[in-house]
Amino acid sequence: MSLFAQTKPCTCCVKGKVLDTDSKAPIPFATVNVDGSEKYVQTDENGNFLIEGICPETYTLIISCLGYSNLTDEHAHEDDTHPHFYLTQEITGLSEVTIRAEIAKERGTETISQTTLSREDIKSVPTQSLAASLSKIEGVTFSSAGTNVQLPVIQGLSGNRILVLNNGLKHAFQNWGNEHAPEIDINAANKVTVIKGASGVRFGPEALSGVVIVEPNPLLLDNPLYATLGSSFQTNGRGINTNLEIGKGTEKWSYFFNGSYTRIGDRSAPDYNLTNTGKSETAFSLGALHHVNNWDFKIYYSFIDQNLGLLRSSVANSPDLFISSINSDRPIIVDPFSYNIDQPNQKTNHQLAKAEVDWFYAEDAKLNLRGGIQINKRDEFDVRRNEEIPIIDLDLITYDYQLEWEHPEWSDLDGVIGVQYFSQNNDNNPGTQTTPFIPNYNTERYSLFAIEKKKLGQNTLEAGIRFDIESNDVRGRETNQDIFRDNYTFSNLTASLGYSWKISDRSKFKTNIGSAFRTPNVAELFSFGQQGFRSTFGLLRFSDNNGVLSTSEVIPLDESDVDLERGYKLTNEYRVDTDTDSHVITTYGHYIENFVFDRPLGVFGTIRGPQPAFIIDQADALFLGLDYTWRKEVTDKVRTTYGLSYLWSRNIGENEPLIDQPPIVTNLQLQWDQGKLWLFESSKWSIKPSYTFRQFQAPRTVTPESLVDGSEVVTVDSEIFDFADAPEGYFLLDVAWNFKWKNINGNLTAQNVLNTSYRNYLNELRYFADEPGINVLLALNYQF
Amino acid sequence: MKTINKMINLRLLALLFAGLLVISCDDDDDAAPEEENEIEVITNVNLIFTNTADASDVVIASAVDPDGAGIMELEVLNAINLSVDTEYMLTYDVLNALDPDDIEDIAEEIEEEDNEHQLFYSFTNNVFANPMGDGNIDNSSDAVVYNDQDENGNNVGLITTWMTSSTPPFTGSFTTRLQHQPDLKSATTGANDGDTDFELTFVLNVN
Repeated sequence: MSLFAQTKPCTCCVKGKVLDTDSKAPIPFATVNVDGSEKYVQTDENGNFLIEGICPETYTLIISCLGYSNLTDEHAHEDDTHPHFYLTQEITGLSEVTIRAEIAKERGTETISQTTLSREDIKSVPTQSLAASLSKIEGVTFSSAGTNVQLPVIQGLSGNRILVLNNGLKHAFQNWGNEHAPEIDINAANKVTVIKGASGVRFGPEALSGVVIVEPNPLLLDNPLYATLGSSFQTNGRGINTNLEIGKGTEKWSYFFNGSYTRIGDRSAPDYNLTNTGKSETAFSLGALHHVNNWDFKIYYSFIDQNLGLLRSSVANSPDLFISSINSDRPIIVDPFSYNIDQPNQKTNHQLAKAEVDWFYAEDAKLNLRGGIQINKRDEFDVRRNEEIPIIDLDLITYDYQLEWEHPEWSDLDGVIGVQYFSQNNDNNPGTQTTPFIPNYNTERYSLFAIEKKKLGQNTLEAGIRFDIESNDVRGRETNQDIFRDNYTFSNLTASLGYSWKISDRSKFKTNIGSAFRTPNVAELFSFGQQGFRSTFGLLRFSDNNGVLSTSEVIPLDESDVDLERGYKLTNEYRVDTDTDSHVITTYGHYIENFVFDRPLGVFGTIRGPQPAFIIDQADALFLGLDYTWRKEVTDKVRTTYGLSYLWSRNIGENEPLIDQPPIVTNLQLQWDQGKLWLFESSKWSIKPSYTFRQFQAPRTVTPESLVDGSEVVTVDSEIFDFADAPEGYFLLDVAWNFKWKNINGNLTAQNVLNTSYRNYLNELRYFADEPGINVLLALNYQF
Repeated sequence: MKTINKMINLRLLALLFAGLLVISCDDDDDAAPEEENEIEVITNVNLIFTNTADASDVVIASAVDPDGAGIMELEVLNAINLSVDTEYMLTYDVLNALDPDDIEDIAEEIEEEDNEHQLFYSFTNNVFANPMGDGNIDNSSDAVVYNDQDENGNNVGLITTWMTSSTPPFTGSFTTRLQHQPDLKSATTGANDGDTDFELTFVLNVN
């Protein structure tokens, strides 16, 4: 078997060598066990071992051999290294050495703060969205339009500044507003990594603030047939989920199949039912790997189909009612529980097909070619006279080709050089009987990047540069159904520089500065019209002539004052590990010139009554923040984790607060590994209180009624405002119990145990309703 | 043996390339979205009061929102100026004139779906001799003189009659609200059931 098959495709398998401390002789037949799993291997005659197939964030290896004693040193396992573990001879008894191993990081992100969630982390609550499952990471939260539509927010930024990399390809979807979440089934994810820093060089200008990397089944070779069947039930929304994964790896082949189905009815807040918040989701994916000599061929296909209900009361049945809804403690429409999903709702279908070839042509070099097609279909239905007709009906087809060369070392330089071609074709399907919200467009982007890293002793210097040329051809309709066209091309330069400094065996400092220039996307430029309770107008969709606003004509981009969004982000991470404690402090500063965001513009009169309007705007914004995690092993059975996320942000161009920025969040998690309990082989408890502060940096409040009666007058140049005050801070308590019984691994999770009524500032539906109340979820996974 | 394998692999690679290129060849079109027939948008509403005794005595009051979903403000163009002690029949023009070359008659659509629509009214108390009171927006059982009914015998309100009071002069307001009530409309549904298609308030002068 070649070396390449062992190290790839699972980048985070662990190999090492076990040696005698004194004689430095290899120790054959020592047992190496991944703590908490059934994976055992033995070292070979030369003391070497290899463990594949488990890829959690960090893990502990227990190496034991009769006749050798304890060794308590912690060793870092770096990418591409082959650590040696020394055991000391002892007269009798089994002994252990514990090492912490880190997973291999994506090239070009090694000096950026990042966190990985394992399959177990993700699967403990299989009914939740990708964004919700990531929000347990410090500095990561989500913005949403209700429980079904949640988008990740990394250090204050979301949408087009966070790239979701699904299976090596940029997840291509209708990425605009808070109303569109990435269509990804978390049950198909093997692990998810969040990179909290400018990663534009590696992944493109959309990775200005961070990247969410979703990796499917790693397609391991030499892996006996496995199957896992999971099913879960949750009380809030009376939801069910069932999922299945089967796969097998032989010497040359590996394949898997994964399917999942989720059905949830109306969620419920502590005091009322959240009418029309049900969800149904069907997803499956399959993949295969063929390994020949030093070649790996992979194909992959995934399918997801969703029907997502949006809170009925988020669409006021008359715009007048928007005003009464915003002032009401309860939603206007509250019906009894139902599984029905009526308007407003979104039906989406996303398919991804990928082919990939790796050629490991030399020991430290490889060529990778990836090609992918994504088809994203989206139908949105609104409460209107013709509600059975979608108000938005879009097909988005995306092609992605990437050729990457991980070159051999050149005078200690280790790096990757790549070219990418990316194209998108967005089409409106006719028959919505309304002016298209998003125009038709074709985007083409050619990219070239290079990332190099140099080891300087224990330290690493990393630098990267990227060049993109993007052209767009846009065709849409004005309100009078006249066609407008626009063509524009931008070239963007992205650069990054990072340094990873190993201060001592126990402390490490990483710093990274990155820039990314981003063309405002088609939605930010051309959005037009009503969606849900609000109307939104893109950057080129409205003009202000001495106070007279008009949205009738579309302004050509080169005649407008719209400019590229230019972001510069500095991220520092300091990490200290002692025997019992680990501290990770991440600080960041992010300056974005021409930051694109949406904000309330006012309330304008229509035939139907007063209608709230939002515009897309640009400002020079500064973000400064801190994420802190402190993990303490209180005893060998009890662990506490404290987390804090703080973000300060401001529109420094106008010296005013920004809108929709995450508030301060702090949480404490107490975990107790009880060991055996009655029939259960393993029993683990966790309790997690958290407090989210009121957003004290929220903009001023201008109520819709004061705009309607004219007591407040706002213009495009007025200070940023919101229609309602930021919600009060809230305390939440989550409790979980994880157990194992024979082949069954179970999780009993209770979220919002105290059934607290609260509203989340980052949820667009905070104007109308509380968040869901208590939810108890039981998830069982059966391993065949 | 190794060379042969390598050649096979290169061929596979070439095939993969070719396959992906072929699939991606058909994506360059430059069509604009098709013209949409804006059925939801109402830009013009005319209230036409015709003296039932003299068909040449017509009072028209209009409200215009020329850009529909766009940001331009709704304009109520004029007041309703009626004579005292006179009976008027009220009818409507409801238009979508976003495209001046293709004006849509929304009133026609409302008529076709009259079992899903009802107009409700509110006005200054006792400005009319018939109906008395202040209209049926606040309370659907209050008096309004409907002259048209749907197939279920429920009121529609595209044709109504109004007898002004004989005690002049009078200045007040007159509000008309069109509610869309699919699968809802009944003899008892009111102005807060269903969705509002338009709600317009005019100054009302009776001289």
